Amino acid sequence: MDFVGKVILVTGASRGIGAAIAKAFATEGAAIIVNYLQNQTAADATVADCEARGGVALAFQADVTDRQAVDGLVQKTLEEFGKIDVLVNNAFRPYTFDPEARKMHWQLDWSDYQNQIDGAVKAAHIMAQAVLPSMLSRSEGSIIHLASNLVARPTVPYHDYTTAKAALIGFSRNLAMELGPLGIRVNSIAPGLVYPTEASRSTKETMKEAIINQTPLGRIATPEDVSGPVLFLASDWSKFMTGQTLYVDGGMVMG
Amino acid sequence: MTERAGYLPGLDADALQWEAHNYGPREASLLVLLPVLKGEQITAVTQYVRSQACARLKTLPVGQIVDAIDLAVARLLDRQDPYRRKMDNLLPVITGYDREMVHLGLTGYLKTFRKPELQRFLAEDFTNPSILNDFQPLAKGGFGRAFGPDVLGHIWAGNVPGLPLWSLVAGLLVKAGNVGKVSSAEPLFAGWFAQVLAEVEPDLADCLAVVWWRGGDAEPETALLHQADLVLGYGRNESLAAIQSRMPITTRFLAYGHKVSFALVSAAALDPSRAAATARLAAYDVARYDQQGCYAPHVVFVERGGVVSPETFAHYVAHGLAALERKFPRGLLSMAETSGVAAWRHSEEMTVGGQVFGDEAGAWTVSYQAEDTAFRPSGLNRTIRIVAVDTLAVVPTIVAPFKALLQTVGIAAPPKELFALAAALGEVGVTRIAALGDMTTPEAGWHHDGRFNLQDLVEITEIDGRAEAASDRLAPYVD
Amino acid sequence: MPIDDPLNLNRVMPAEGMGIAHMEYNAIVADLLDFIAVDGPDEAAFNRMALRLFAYQFENNKPFAKFIRARGKTPRTVQSWTDIPAVPINAFKTLDLTCCPHGDAVAVFMTSGTTLGGLRGKSYHSTLKVYDASMSRNFAKRFMVGREQMDMGILFPTTAMMPNSSLAHYLSLAVQTFGTSGSAHLIGDDGIDFERLMADLTRAEETGQPYGLLGASFSLVHVLDELQRRGQTVRLPEGSRILDTGGFKGQSRELDLDEFYDALYHTFGVPRSHCINMYGMTELSTQFYDDGNAVCPSVKSGPHWIRTRVVNPLTGVAVAKGKAGVLAHTDLAHFNIVTTILTEDAGIETDYGFLLLGRATGAEAQGCSMAVDEFLKAAGAA
Repeated sequence: MDFVGKVILVTGASRGIGAAIAKAFATEGAAIIVNYLQNQTAADATVADCEARGGVALAFQADVTDRQAVDGLVQKTLEEFGKIDVLVNNAFRPYTFDPEARKMHWQLDWSDYQNQIDGAVKAAHIMAQAVLPSMLSRSEGSIIHLASNLVARPTVPYHDYTTAKAALIGFSRNLAMELGPLGIRVNSIAPGLVYPTEASRSTKETMKEAIINQTPLGRIATPEDVSGPVLFLASDWSKFMTGQTLYVDGGMVMG
Repeated sequence: MTERAGYLPGLDADALQWEAHNYGPREASLLVLLPVLKGEQITAVTQYVRSQACARLKTLPVGQIVDAIDLAVARLLDRQDPYRRKMDNLLPVITGYDREMVHLGLTGYLKTFRKPELQRFLAEDFTNPSILNDFQPLAKGGFGRAFGPDVLGHIWAGNVPGLPLWSLVAGLLVKAGNVGKVSSAEPLFAGWFAQVLAEVEPDLADCLAVVWWRGGDAEPETALLHQADLVLGYGRNESLAAIQSRMPITTRFLAYGHKVSFALVSAAALDPSRAAATARLAAYDVARYDQQGCYAPHVVFVERGGVVSPETFAHYVAHGLAALERKFPRGLLSMAETSGVAAWRHSEEMTVGGQVFGDEAGAWTVSYQAEDTAFRPSGLNRTIRIVAVDTLAVVPTIVAPFKALLQTVGIAAPPKELFALAAALGEVGVTRIAALGDMTTPEAGWHHDGRFNLQDLVEITEIDGRAEAASDRLAPYVD
Repeated sequence: MPIDDPLNLNRVMPAEGMGIAHMEYNAIVADLLDFIAVDGPDEAAFNRMALRLFAYQFENNKPFAKFIRARGKTPRTVQSWTDIPAVPINAFKTLDLTCCPHGDAVAVFMTSGTTLGGLRGKSYHSTLKVYDASMSRNFAKRFMVGREQMDMGILFPTTAMMPNSSLAHYLSLAVQTFGTSGSAHLIGDDGIDFERLMADLTRAEETGQPYGLLGASFSLVHVLDELQRRGQTVRLPEGSRILDTGGFKGQSRELDLDEFYDALYHTFGVPRSHCINMYGMTELSTQFYDDGNAVCPSVKSGPHWIRTRVVNPLTGVAVAKGKAGVLAHTDLAHFNIVTTILTEDAGIETDYGFLLLGRATGAEAQGCSMAVDEFLKAAGAA
């Protein structure tokens, strides 16, 4: 697989899964825009790591739920790189995955849902609209959404988070339908629990053990496990796939 | 692999000079031997065809000729037939067109020459096709009978597979002996058809010939022009003018010059449920035979005001072309063709309001023009100009200066608009309106470039109404 | 624009020392002059300079940056000079491809404008220092071949007559730098000055001083025709050379190259191996030469600051060596305009340069459709 000459925009790429994805693309020679919201130091570190691997990278700050900020992000990207071949919508609203401290349904306010839906679907919507002209001008492109396997199997019912991710998969399929005739593919990746990341740091060992026991491949996903399928969906290897959701959870969810 | 071109009844093949031509890429190349005929050989074969046509073809009722052609076409529609297999295998090598596209194209095309279609062909030009057999009553009174020429000369051009069949069949239907000169761009189809026809109907075997001579050799051409009673010529204007200049004044010459075609998409066709499908049809018309045919669109005028914008329509066409490139890959281009496409692409990029989309390998190109509405030909080989217009009503004015060059217009519009546009386009020289997706497959019995295919070939001998009455008075049974 | 100083020795960039762009500009000019002056810098040095100029043009020329972005590339993603998108010379007609404000230009070279629409491609030069250094070093090596000066006759109008002609500038520079005081422009307002030409040729024949006859190919054809009409030939002394350029395309008479060089030999006594053809373009600041035309077509090559690739004009990808393609040149000396251009000339790469095959013209339709040229012709006739 070769991404030399390809331009990849990864949202929320300063740390965790996003950073792993950026680095994986860099290893294949891509040019990467490392989008981040707050942590410039981490974003710069990711950029340096990307460049060390042979890629070209730049960090751009932008709140992906803010249309103006996103327009600026895409414009800057096009100025610096000329095009966008792949968009990876990885950013999401901060969420703490703590089975013991999670809110029960009756404790949730609608604003909790709204917050997560904005972080997932609104961001994806704004980002897709912003990159569309560039992708259309080349009659090709790949958009990849980071969802969660909790959508299919809510091992722990993180209502607001998982509902937003389910909506994201629905959004992704509709977008695939709309953009297919224009040559642009839209797919989702649904990882299981990924460790270590900022969000999963507080996950207890017992919880991890419980997940491992239900996982055919017998371990927890690492950020690097997620990047492989992302690269696949970004590449020509998957040129006849759109509207799909790939579960990356060691076989915990099948289907 | 070697194949001989031509069909030369009455000539001794071994006594002829044959010229070897190579086709296709080196790894799958095909050697075709073309007969290098001289003036006297053309004269000899034409005279032979004339005598045989007069003795046999002219005595057959047209229905029997239809049956013979139908039989020959049925053989060619059979994918196991050895001649059909040759067509499927060798025409892609000769022309560079995609194999699957040639196969499907041939089947669709040959289907328009089966008996029912041939009957339609006849009925289109003659109210009563028996007029080709016998004197028939005329509406004005009296009787008429249509006589085709003794020898119809054909000078074919280009490489679109099967093209010579049109005029050959037309010639046979009017009972003419046929002598056709193939183009070296596709020298085989006509000869194969002649051989199949001879096999299915030996009576016709010597009534047609397929010849060749070196390009630019005026002597054999002049011989054919002097021997034929009527000549059909295809090609670019310079070639046609050269033929015309050599024509004896008493011989009729029907010239079919190169033409250009385009398409119109009404705002009414641009809703989200239909726009993509319509664009796919337009892309198919662009891709088929790599836009080499006169019926292939060069420009698509797209009306603003629909839910789907002309620009998005252009993107749909782009993806349609990308998808067709996977299904029917474009033929390999020569250096000159590549330069032609590149020059076109580079000039389209420089227009105000223009955007050019294409794949990196250069297999197809869409030029979307938001401001420059000029009618300009494409770069051929799957390149299309998509022009946004506020209303399709302006298009006839845009294309009017090119009246002599226009042929087919593909239209996606509701009925009322279709007829209004057809009227306006007819006035500026357009001779065929087709649905998108059908532009490159004219239906049986169409009027090629607006002409009567069969009527143009015949002369009517009429018996004046009063002559019949006068003869009546001379009948032995007169009281 | 002053026209009495073809060397432009008195001209400098108007706003020297103003801001970073100008600092970089001055540094580039200095570094390019060094680059041209040294012998054979390596591939890496060429690449570095090409990428630096690419970034400079991208930064300082908006239409160029827009064109490059539309190709999906930028200086950030281009790592090798071979990846720099080549600008089709057609673009020079409509795009303002220069890094210097027009008012600051010391010379504007234009194409002849014989093409469709009469639009002329324009190259605005902010300085001719680099152009002149490029021309002089290359000309000394390829035409003068070690000789310092020579009596020259120029069969081309002067810069005063044709201020926008790069060829006029080139030939003026040749005669000013390498011509003796006895050299002359042989084309004036009344056309070719045959009397002066004959006098100079005869003098060369008598004195035995080598003579250089330089000019447009078609002007040389006029001279050949006229001398033939007069029944005159000369035997120029050994060491004499002829330089022709431009070819015969679009001229009233198209000569076969062998016929042309044979005629030069028979008329002037200059062996074909000393008849040099120069291939240059308004859109370049460096020229290509062959090493004589004993065999046609001859192999053309340029100096170390220009590289040529033979590409598929649609994809920009190099064709296999030995296959015909279209020439794309990367000319470092054209630094202030566009360094990498896509020509409309067909060629084949060889071990020592390339064979020029003439203009890469489009093909006719293979079926009954029409290609652009045929359409325009038919539409014009209708």
